[in-house]
Amino acid sequence: MGWFSSSKPEQASAASRTDRQKCWEARDSYFACLDRAGVLKAGEEKGACDGQKKAYDENCARSWIEYFNKRRVLAEQQKDRLLQSQDAKKKI
Amino acid sequence: MSRFIFSFQPKSLTARNARHTLAIHPVPARSLPRRRYSEIRQTSSTGARDRATVGVFTPKAAALFVVTGIGLFYYFQYEKQKLLEQRQKELESRSVGRAHVGGPFTLTTHENTPFSEKDLLGKWNLVYFGFTNCPDICPAELDKIGAVLTSLEKDHGTVFQPVFISVDPARDSVDQMKRYLADFHPRIIGLTGDYGTVKSTCKAYRVYFSTPPDADPRGDYLVDHSIYVYLMDPKGQFVEAFGQSSTPEEVVERVRKEMAAYEQENGRKV
Repeated sequence: MGWFSSSKPEQASAASRTDRQKCWEARDSYFACLDRAGVLKAGEEKGACDGQKKAYDENCARSWIEYFNKRRVLAEQQKDRLLQSQDAKKKI
Repeated sequence: MSRFIFSFQPKSLTARNARHTLAIHPVPARSLPRRRYSEIRQTSSTGARDRATVGVFTPKAAALFVVTGIGLFYYFQYEKQKLLEQRQKELESRSVGRAHVGGPFTLTTHENTPFSEKDLLGKWNLVYFGFTNCPDICPAELDKIGAVLTSLEKDHGTVFQPVFISVDPARDSVDQMKRYLADFHPRIIGLTGDYGTVKSTCKAYRVYFSTPPDADPRGDYLVDHSIYVYLMDPKGQFVEAFGQSSTPEEVVERVRKEMAAYEQENGRKV
């Protein structure tokens, strides 16, 4: 695949540790804003988190954003189930 | 069991001798005096026939039967216990009941040198599958491997070989792997190859991944894949798979245990 990277220098080069760190921080602050706005699903905050969203979009790849947003919803749905199973474990 | 045999005897006798006044008091066989027992048979007109039907089933024989029964019972229990212990030993043993994980492959390292399953021999290997565009799980797992290595190498030296195999060969070129791994433990070896080789390697290691064969090398996509760190021993055999929830401390402890068992079995560390 060498010729791809040489002819297309803008090819999606994987994020470095600092890139990842920046993305995660932008994500965390955006999600914190969603929490404050009481919104679970990203994009439904009606402009309440525009600043954070911009940083999030700038620092994370689109595929990562989709993944994090989906996981945020899934994690919320699983929270109850996890709590229930933990309670069940405690009882045993 | 013994109670059954003893109570069986007087019952059958009383039934058979019901017409004889002597036998209408059912006496427990245990307290039945021997002479009296023979008197019954002597006075009875059907005594001979009784003896014939009772056969060799005398109190002595009954006692022998019971003792033998009890003896056999404990003997079989003992044998069963021994069998269970043996099975347990086999389970713990490293050579029996091992999962068939791993197999032949030839890939390219991030230093652009060939690397095959033979290069796993003589080292304790931690094998992980992932991709460089992985949002959070792969870097976390690779950092975990780094922490495990730092801890293990303190005591055992450099007998370990961490291997990171790409499940995204379309984008993970040798250069890309090299750039990516610069952020992690320096001993981690990155492996990549063409789609077919990566696919067959993953199959041998029972690793699932979702990259299609015609993935766009410039595309922005994620790869869904199994998240396990495999421990392979110096013979290249699979030992254990660690999931995401295993802490570095747990992995270190398990590796130490396996190394001790291996050393005891083979007389050497690697």
